[in-house]
Amino acid sequence: MGPRRRQLKNAAAEAMQFRRRAAIAFLAVAAALATLGGWYFRLQVVEHAEYATRSDANRIKPRPVVPGRGLIFDRKGRVLADNVPAYRLDVVPDEAGDLKSLVKRLSTIVALTPEDLERFDKERNAKRGFRPITLKLRVGEEEAARFAVDRWRYPGVELVPYLNRRYPYGDLFAHVIGYVGRIDEADLAKMGDVDSALTHTGKTGLERYYEDALRGKVGYEKIETNVQGRALRRLGQVPAVPGADLRLSIDMDLQRAMVAAFGDNDGSAVALDPRTGEILAMVSLPSYDPNLFVNGISHQDYKTLMDDPSRPLFNRNVLGGGPPGSTVKPLIALAGLDSGLRRPEDKVFSTGEFHIPGQKRGYRDAHGGAGWTDLRKSIAASVNFYYYKLAYDMGITRFDAYMRKYGFGAPTGIDLAGENKGVVPSPEWKATRSKEHWYPGETVISGIGQGYWVATILQLARGVSAIANGGNLIRPHLVASTRTGFDHPWLPTPQPTPPRITDNPAHLRAVQEGMMGTMQPGGTGYSLVHGAPYLMAGKTGTAQKIGRRGNVSVDPHQLPFNLRHQALFVGYAPADNPTIAVAVMVEHGGFGASTAGPIARKIFDAWLLGTMPDATPQTNDPTVADDIGPAPAPAAAEAAR
Amino acid sequence: MNALARILIDVTARLLRTVDLWLLGALLALMTIGLAVLYSAGSETPHLVWAQAARFVFGLAAMWGLSRIPPTRLRHWSPMVYGISLLPLLLVLAIGQGKHGNHWINLGFFYFQPSEVIKLSLPMMMAWYLQRETLPPRFHVVLIGGGLIAIPLGLILLQPDFGTGMLVASSGVFALFLAGLSWWWFGAAVAGAAGVAPVAWFWYLREYQKERILTFLNPESDPLGAGWNIIQSKIAIGAGGLTGKGWGQGSQSHLDYLPEHTTDFIFAVLSEEFGWIGVATVLALYLFVIGRCLWIAAEARDGYSRILAGAIGLSFFVYVIVNGGMISGMLPVVGVPMPLLSYGGTSAVSLLAGLGLVMAVGAHRPRHTT
Repeated sequence: MGPRRRQLKNAAAEAMQFRRRAAIAFLAVAAALATLGGWYFRLQVVEHAEYATRSDANRIKPRPVVPGRGLIFDRKGRVLADNVPAYRLDVVPDEAGDLKSLVKRLSTIVALTPEDLERFDKERNAKRGFRPITLKLRVGEEEAARFAVDRWRYPGVELVPYLNRRYPYGDLFAHVIGYVGRIDEADLAKMGDVDSALTHTGKTGLERYYEDALRGKVGYEKIETNVQGRALRRLGQVPAVPGADLRLSIDMDLQRAMVAAFGDNDGSAVALDPRTGEILAMVSLPSYDPNLFVNGISHQDYKTLMDDPSRPLFNRNVLGGGPPGSTVKPLIALAGLDSGLRRPEDKVFSTGEFHIPGQKRGYRDAHGGAGWTDLRKSIAASVNFYYYKLAYDMGITRFDAYMRKYGFGAPTGIDLAGENKGVVPSPEWKATRSKEHWYPGETVISGIGQGYWVATILQLARGVSAIANGGNLIRPHLVASTRTGFDHPWLPTPQPTPPRITDNPAHLRAVQEGMMGTMQPGGTGYSLVHGAPYLMAGKTGTAQKIGRRGNVSVDPHQLPFNLRHQALFVGYAPADNPTIAVAVMVEHGGFGASTAGPIARKIFDAWLLGTMPDATPQTNDPTVADDIGPAPAPAAAEAAR
Repeated sequence: MNALARILIDVTARLLRTVDLWLLGALLALMTIGLAVLYSAGSETPHLVWAQAARFVFGLAAMWGLSRIPPTRLRHWSPMVYGISLLPLLLVLAIGQGKHGNHWINLGFFYFQPSEVIKLSLPMMMAWYLQRETLPPRFHVVLIGGGLIAIPLGLILLQPDFGTGMLVASSGVFALFLAGLSWWWFGAAVAGAAGVAPVAWFWYLREYQKERILTFLNPESDPLGAGWNIIQSKIAIGAGGLTGKGWGQGSQSHLDYLPEHTTDFIFAVLSEEFGWIGVATVLALYLFVIGRCLWIAAEARDGYSRILAGAIGLSFFVYVIVNGGMISGMLPVVGVPMPLLSYGGTSAVSLLAGLGLVMAVGAHRPRHTT
C-alpha cells in the first residue's frame, strides 16, 4: 500500500520525468535514424559510382564471340580451306561433379576416343575449374540429338556450336596450307587470356604463318547474367573482327597437274611466276590429309604417318634440302662471267678428268671428255670439267660470296614457317662442323653442286626465276592478296624489292642461251622438247646420297629417306618470254635422273597449254641423258687430300 | 442520400474513434511502400504480395480490436497475459522448428512464433510492475524488472534467437528507461557487456553467429562465402544512388545477387530501386511513427499507459536501426525484419497489434476539456 500512496503523491513529478525521458529518447532515436540515413547517403550518393560499377560488374559478364577463321582461296577463287558449323561438348569441371562417372555416363551416348579422354585429362590439369574444357569436337548429329534429350542429366556439360576448319581438297594442299589443331598448353601460354575462347590455332603451313591474320579478333558480347551465370539478354557488344581471307597465287588445276605428273614418285616441286615470285603450284609427295589433324589425330593414324619411310608429313620444299647438283651450274657460270674469270666465248678443253695441279686424284665427267667447251656448251651438255676448273680458279671465298648473292644459304622468305636456309660450302661453315681445314678438292666439287652444298627446291626455283626474269631475285610467295572481310577489297600482299643477281644483261643472256641449249640437240634435256609448241630452257641434275652400284633394284619407296638419290630439274618456259619457272626433285632409290625433266614438261604443258597429264605411273625415259655428278662427297673429300 | 452519407460518416467515425489517424496514415503509407517493394522483389512469386496484404489486414484488425480495450483493463490483464505468453516459449523449445533453432510451432495452418507474443506481453508486464512502484525505480525494483525481462529473454536465447531476444529485451529496458532508470545503470550495463562478450564468444554464440560477427568486421575477407550477403546488399544500396534505378529495375534483386531479398534484405531492394530519397522517406515515416507513439505516451494520464505506449514505440526503433544497419554493413548481421516492409513472419501482425495498444492508450485518456 505504501508504494501506491507515494506514487499517487508523485504523479505529476513522474509524468514530468516521463516526458523528459521520452524527449531524450526521441532525440536519441532521431539522431540514430539520422546517422543511419547519413550512412546510406554515404553509400548511395558519395560512393555511388563505385557500387554502381560493382553492380554492373555483377550482372554484366563479357562473353567471347569467336570470329570465323579467314578462308583460303586459290588464284581463281576456289575455296581451299573453309569453316563448317559443328558442335562440340564442353565440360565445366566445377559444375560437373564427379567427372569419372560423368564421362562414363556420357560415353554411353557419345563416342569418346581414348585420345579425347587423354586430352581432356591433360587440359583439366592445366585450366582452372570454372573454365569450360572441350571433351569432344565434331559431335555427330545423332550424338548431339541424343545428348540434347538427356541434357538435364549432365550438369556442367554443354553442347556448343562452333565453326570447324575443313580442307575440301584434303592432301592436295597439305604442304601448302598446313592445318589447324587444338590449342595446347604451349599455344595458350603464347596467346594470352583474350584468345582463350579459341579452340584451334594454325600448326603448320599457311595456317600457322598467317595465324594472326586468319584468326581475326575475338569480340565480346556484354551479357546480363543472373547469379547462376545464365545469360538473360545482350546489353552491348564489341564486335569480333573476322579473320582475313587469303587468296593464293596457287592454281588448283596446276597443283593437280603437278601431283599427277609425279605419278607414283616421291619428291617435290615448285612452280612459280618468275616475274613476280607468285607460286603457281607447290607439292611435296607423298602428302597426307590435313583434316585428320583438325580434331586431334588418333594415335593409330599418327603412327601410320610417322612410320612411313617416305615421310609424308615432311615438307620437302621448305624443310628439305640437299646438294643441288648440276642444276646450280648456270648460276656458277654467271659467277664466272661476273667475276671476270671467263667470257662467254672462252673455251676450256675437257679431257673428262680434271686434276688439281700437283695432285694425282682426278675429278671425272660422267660422259668422258667433251673437248673444247664454252659457257653455253658447259650448261647444255653439263660439262663437269668446265666447272671444276672454274671453281678452282675462282677460289672458295669468291665462290661462296657469289652463291650467297644468288640466294643460297639464306631463306627465300616464302610465307611458310621453319624454312631451311641451306648451306653454301665455305671454309667458315666447315670450321663449325669439323676440325679439319678446307681442302682444295672441296672447292672443286662445290663447282658442280656437290660436297657440302645444301640447297632447297625453293632456292633452286628462285635462282632459275632470276635467270628467267632478267636478274631479279624475287621472293617466292603463296599469298597473292588478302582481304579483311568479304565486303572488303582484295589487297595485294606487299613484296620486297628483289635484289639483282647481275648487272650485265649480256652475261645473263649467255646463261639463258646455255639453258635453252639444254633443250636442243646435244643438250641433256633434248628429249623433253618433243612436240612442245613453245621454247623451254632448263638444267638437269642429280644429287646422289648412296653409292650407285648395288642399289639399283631397290624400291625407292622402301629406301630410308636420307639415302635416296634426288633427280633434279630446273627450268622455265616459254624461254623467250618466261611465265613459269619450275624446280622439280624426284627421289630415287637407284639409278637415274630421267624422271624430273618429264615432270617439269608436264607442268609446263598444263600451265601453258592447259593439258592435264594422265595420272598413269611414270616410266623412266631411257633416252634422257643421265646427268650424274662424281662419286659421293666423302669419297671426293678423301680423294682431295 | 444526404442522410445515408451522414450515417455512413457517423458509423465510420464511431468505428475509427479509437484509431489514431496520424499513426494509421503513416502505417498505411509504410505498408503501401512495403507491398510495392515486395511486388518488385518477389516478382517471381506474386502470391507473396497477397499473403503479405492478408497479414496486414489481419494485423490492422488486431490493431483496431486492441485499440478499443481501455488501458485500465489491459493493465488488469497484464500479469496473466505475461504468464500465459511464457508457456509457448517453453513449448517451442520442445517441439519447435526452424533453420537455426526452434523458433516456430507448426499450428497446421500457419507457423506460430511464440516470441512475437512476448514482444507485447513483456512491455505490458513491465508497465504493470513499474506503475506500482515509486519512480524513478529503486534498486530492488530494477532487479525485479530485470528478472521479468530475463525470464523470456533466457527462453528465447535458448532457441536460440538472438535477434528476437534483443528486441524483447530492449522493449523491457525501454520501459525501465522511461520509468526513470538511473543513468548509472547504463554505465554499468556497458561495462558488464564488455565483460560478458568474451564469455559469450567462447561459450554461448554458435558458429554461424560468430561467423556473422567476423563477417561484419570484414565482409571482403570471404566475398563468396559469409561476406557475400553484406557485399551484395551494399552493392544494391550503393548502386541505387540518389533517386534509385526505378521500381522493378533493381538488378541486384532481380538477378538473384541479393539474398533473402523479400525478407531481411528487402530494405536493400528499396534502396536500390528508390535511391536515397526512398530511404530517407521511409526513415522519416518510421521516425514519425515512433515520435507519435512517444507523444501519445507523454499525453497519457497514468503510469501504466505511458510506459506501455513508450516502450512499444521505442522497440519499433530497434527493428529499424538493427535491420537498416545490418544490411548496409553498419552493424553485424542479426536476423531482424524491417517493420512492415519485410515479408512474412508474425512480426507484421505483432507490430500492428502493439500499435493497437498504443492507440488504446491514446483513445482512452481523459480529455482535458471534459
